[in-house]
Amino acid sequence: MQMLFAALAAVTLALPQRDNIHQGRGQGQGQGVGDTTFAVQNGARLDVNNFGGEIVVKTWNQNSVQVHSSHSSRSQVNVSASGSTVLVRTEGRRGPPSIVDLDITVPAWMGMTLSGTYTDISVDGAGGSVTAESVQGDIAVTGGTGNVALKSVEGGVTLAKTRGRIEVNSVQGDISIEDASGDITVETVNGDITLARIDAANVEVNTVDGDVLYDGSIKPGGSYRLATHDGDVTVVIPPGASLSASVSTFDGDFDASFAMDTVRAGKHRFTFTLGRGGNTARLELETFSGNIKLRRPGEVGLESRKHKNSGRGHNERDNDNEQYNYNYDYHYKYHYRYAGN
Amino acid sequence: MNDQWTNRLSEYIDGELDNEERIALEAHLATCGSCYATLAELRQVVARAQSLEDSSPPADLWPEIRARMTPAHGAGVGRRGADRSRRFSFSVPQLLAASIVLALLSAGGMWIGLRSTKPTVTADQNVTSPPSDYTLASAGRWRTSTDAAVTELEEALARNQGQLDTATVRVLRQNLAVIDRAIGQAQRALKRDPGSNYLNLHLANTMRQKIELLRRANALATGQS
Repeated sequence: MQMLFAALAAVTLALPQRDNIHQGRGQGQGQGVGDTTFAVQNGARLDVNNFGGEIVVKTWNQNSVQVHSSHSSRSQVNVSASGSTVLVRTEGRRGPPSIVDLDITVPAWMGMTLSGTYTDISVDGAGGSVTAESVQGDIAVTGGTGNVALKSVEGGVTLAKTRGRIEVNSVQGDISIEDASGDITVETVNGDITLARIDAANVEVNTVDGDVLYDGSIKPGGSYRLATHDGDVTVVIPPGASLSASVSTFDGDFDASFAMDTVRAGKHRFTFTLGRGGNTARLELETFSGNIKLRRPGEVGLESRKHKNSGRGHNERDNDNEQYNYNYDYHYKYHYRYAGN
Repeated sequence: MNDQWTNRLSEYIDGELDNEERIALEAHLATCGSCYATLAELRQVVARAQSLEDSSPPADLWPEIRARMTPAHGAGVGRRGADRSRRFSFSVPQLLAASIVLALLSAGGMWIGLRSTKPTVTADQNVTSPPSDYTLASAGRWRTSTDAAVTELEEALARNQGQLDTATVRVLRQNLAVIDRAIGQAQRALKRDPGSNYLNLHLANTMRQKIELLRRANALATGQS
């Protein structure tokens, strides 16, 4: 038997602390469904914690928040206000909550903090800052400005159409960022990192076991550091980019699809410069065991796919060739393979 | 490693060199592997420092950390949170240790929290002292102190992991093993080529990743993430 809660509350977030806006609770043996809509003032923030299930956030052009929840009778959803923050919490009537799916619609300008343990998080159309963290679950965000920080332990992270200071972190899972601008810091342990259509002056990318692909701007005075321990590093260099590069690999090759003069700068490292000098960008590419590849735009065909495999580590899909369709048409190989001495 | 430019790198990052000096330094960077590698590490340290939140840990660890990081003749480091412009001027020999110290510093609040319930874990014991000058011997000491910090965090995780889902523990352990394999490979490579800047910095960076994963795992287990 299904119970339907349809509560409509018009609440302005200047109310006293911890005003309860709505409490949705499944009853009997059935499934609970809750709907709450209330007004918010400019500057309000959304803060959601959902132990398990989904958090789906969409945006609209209204200064109000709508919370729709779907859950079993053992769980309940509390919506309250604390200062200028809208709090959405899930809890169990006895013990931890079971699966709760939250579908929340907020004003496009609204910043948000979303967290969960066994929780997939998706955000579409955010216009403010976004912080999202899950332990076991994927995170997918479209939009976001200002500070955008996404963290997952076991799960893939995708981010698109974002401007600001971007920090993405996973432990086991691929990370993909597309159509983003700002300062970007990305790190995972076991997973690939793909940055495509990026407009950034400061980029820091680290993975231990995974490939790295950067296809974006190389700005004057910018700093780009892309590093992996076991994997390839591929960088698309726009024509006319002015840069000084350092390339380090312990056991791997370097190749470029265009000619350049390299200078040996150590046993495992060499440098090269491109462009006319002046306020050059810094490019640092490192892989302990893997190849470093430089390409021109269009030479690396990137076909994004739905992240049906996100959440899986690099080692689990070594034979999976779906994600990138590389069109290697390069001619200049530089062999820097060192087996030690 | 110490040439006329090494102590100007932080000024370079801060954009404080005049045009002539900047051009000269950039020309030097194109041919000096040590300075280039150092600059890369310095940028990483600064980026990580900038990403730290402004809130201070419950107990102010900074005076002791600063005292350890700042030799009598060395460059100072702006106090975290107090220096809004976030300038971090490191002398070059401190960089390897600085990257680890920053990773540990970011964990300071968590360690204090752990200490309140787990008296055996202390923050100051985990803060590694930077070498006053970068030599193989000092690098060895640095690694030893960093290993000690890792050991303490691993012990804390062993105590705390019961608070985590077994699947999460398994993932964390698998990924710690991935990092350990990378560390082992880097260490073996360093044995063959102990003077390699790249390998030293790569090892430092991989150690930092291990520390950060352990810190995050402990934070998850203690509900402080």
